[in-house]
Amino acid sequence: MSAEMANEIKLISGRSHPELSEKIAKRLGIEVARTISLNYSNQETSFTVGESVRDEDVFIVQSTATGDVNEGLMELLIMISACRTASARRITAVIPNFPYARQDKKDKSRAPISARLVANMLQTAGANHIVTVDLHASQVSFFSVPVDNLYAEPSFLRYIRENFKTEDCVIVSPDAGGAKRATSIADHLNTAFALIHKERPRPNVVGRMVLVGNVEDKIAILVDDMADTCGTLVKAAAVLKENGAKSVLALVTHGILSGNAIETLNSSVLEALVVTNTVPLGDKVERCPKLRVIDISPTLAEAIRRTHNGESVSYLFNHAPV
Amino acid sequence: MVRNIVVLGGNSHPALVESLCNILGLPACNRVLTKFSSGESRCEIQDSVRGKDVYIIQTGFGGNGSKLNDHFMDLCIMISACKTGSARRVTAVLPLFPYSRQPDLPYKKSGAPLFKASSENGKKDYTFDSVPATPAPGVPRSAGFVNGTDITSRLAKTSLTNGTGSMSPVKQANGDSFFHGANGQGFATPGFTTHDYENGSHIGAFQAKPGYKQWVAQAGTLVANLLTCAGADHVITMDLHDPQVQGFFDVPVDNLYGRPLLKRYITTHIPNYKEAVIISPDAGGAKRATAIADSLGMDFALIHKERRPTKITDRQNASMMLVGNVTDRVCILIDDLLDTGNTITRAAKLLKKEGATTIYALLTHGVFSGDAINRVKASAIDKVIVTNSVPQDEHKALLGSKLDVLDISPIFAEAIRRVHHGESISVLFNYD
Repeated sequence: MSAEMANEIKLISGRSHPELSEKIAKRLGIEVARTISLNYSNQETSFTVGESVRDEDVFIVQSTATGDVNEGLMELLIMISACRTASARRITAVIPNFPYARQDKKDKSRAPISARLVANMLQTAGANHIVTVDLHASQVSFFSVPVDNLYAEPSFLRYIRENFKTEDCVIVSPDAGGAKRATSIADHLNTAFALIHKERPRPNVVGRMVLVGNVEDKIAILVDDMADTCGTLVKAAAVLKENGAKSVLALVTHGILSGNAIETLNSSVLEALVVTNTVPLGDKVERCPKLRVIDISPTLAEAIRRTHNGESVSYLFNHAPV
Repeated sequence: MVRNIVVLGGNSHPALVESLCNILGLPACNRVLTKFSSGESRCEIQDSVRGKDVYIIQTGFGGNGSKLNDHFMDLCIMISACKTGSARRVTAVLPLFPYSRQPDLPYKKSGAPLFKASSENGKKDYTFDSVPATPAPGVPRSAGFVNGTDITSRLAKTSLTNGTGSMSPVKQANGDSFFHGANGQGFATPGFTTHDYENGSHIGAFQAKPGYKQWVAQAGTLVANLLTCAGADHVITMDLHDPQVQGFFDVPVDNLYGRPLLKRYITTHIPNYKEAVIISPDAGGAKRATAIADSLGMDFALIHKERRPTKITDRQNASMMLVGNVTDRVCILIDDLLDTGNTITRAAKLLKKEGATTIYALLTHGVFSGDAINRVKASAIDKVIVTNSVPQDEHKALLGSKLDVLDISPIFAEAIRRVHHGESISVLFNYD
């Protein structure tokens, strides 16, 4: 092997989101490494490496498939550990949708801080670097290895600019926590901003909602980091409609869409839900005509390329590669 | 009543948790352990654990609609939650340790023995004209092959006749190249394996890069590290398949033995047991089996799995050999784990052929994965005896009187009690 061939990008794909890995590989002009993950009949995960990763720059792409989060996480940990055993030079876990991101604080007695646990586990397994999308800034500090937290915002900005007249739009945050994300987009587009305040008595259950701001005769664009059961979004959309919005759509980074999300969306006043493909969507696009998908793989591929070549990644925080 | 102790059960084995709590005389810790609709585990511990000695019971078994990896993540989350909840000490109790078994190495059946065979061949008429140990450019790679086979042309032929190129040549240090295990069949389908795959159909499509020997990741160390990383201060388990796993941990590990239970079963349930023969179904378990045979003063025999290929095309030929005499005798197979049931049922077949009258199989862990239930049902084994280190209700329902279940909860309860009070548990290792 010649000198310039040494230390290449090895892109390893987990089972959760092979389409995304393929897209990233295509974008990088490489092939996904030959590995295979299977389950034994006793349900233990087995991971077989079919090519050398010695002294290579390994990127392991694993998202979270809805319903199979733990399975995917365990597989990722085994893959990382296997690559470390196989003498990879650097192992970067590319986790577009970070699992357990929502369980990041001890909000009641003895509540697990699972996000921190996952961060520790990834490092224990041997990850040297993490690439993810729209993780909360506070969670980045769970890690003692470098974390490149990419944003879907540039992709969203482009989507809005390409599809709407910005002066007709108002950016709405569905909760107080997301206000910063929404104001940032509103500032970039120079549009109005509104906020919905909500009460959440129990997880996955949404309480009363109050709109702060004016959305009359505007296209209300809800912005959030994840859409799970979509209860929040649909209720927020209803509140916006009641307050005179012309139409309501939602831009969400991670479309987890679990439970009855698709049915909820289909019967809602929400005109469209735009998600990125950080999470495998399966047949949901067919089942939900309101669902639109922005491809995030150019951003991830560019981050991988830049990380590998030792270039700055910060360009990607404000620009979405075409 | 044991004070200042909290027993927290996972979802993998509620019956064991209940029976442990009964013996210890305390209620199990109230907790919510479910999943969010997104698939993430949700864990809420409802009783205080501050300053308590917490024992978390979770066995390495997935079945009845639950998943092994879910249970393992649940365990880590519970450990972590107790740690952040100011528990004094958190002990992970894993009756069956997940990922403790080394996976079958796919190249073992083909690559390794063949290498040996060819070098033995080569020795016979090795001359100074033989190929140097290092491959050099211009030197035909098969020059060292002395049995008249032109391997290069054979390789070429294979790749021509076999459009998928499923046989990949592997270069060895001595310059020979030979067929290697990445054949189209994959490594899970051949006759002898102790691991089955849930979805074996994918393997056929998978091929290693030419020149690279594929290998399977070993997760044992990782699992140990993850438990420690989650915050486990102590681990209690039973009959680790590889006792070395104990060494993967930086925290104390108590590896309890199921042996006393098995021994008691032999002496109380097997008529005229002194006349029976203890059999180890493979060389790896010989130590386990001889320990029982010695202490009961019984005869011992061993089954040896021979994996030496006789021909180059015959590389997956694994035959079994019995060492010892079992004619007209009762046989007691001893092993630590019944997973796919392959080893034990094949051993039983051989024993019947060798004239055994009745065959008992005594195992610590009865996982019965894949086709194991049917395999055992159809086998020559007269009775399978396992412990309830994993839930056995479903297996019992399917196997009926062919299966006997021994209760391990007294051993674990006693271990928990002793660990909690800081007493020695070494007495449990010789417990009768």
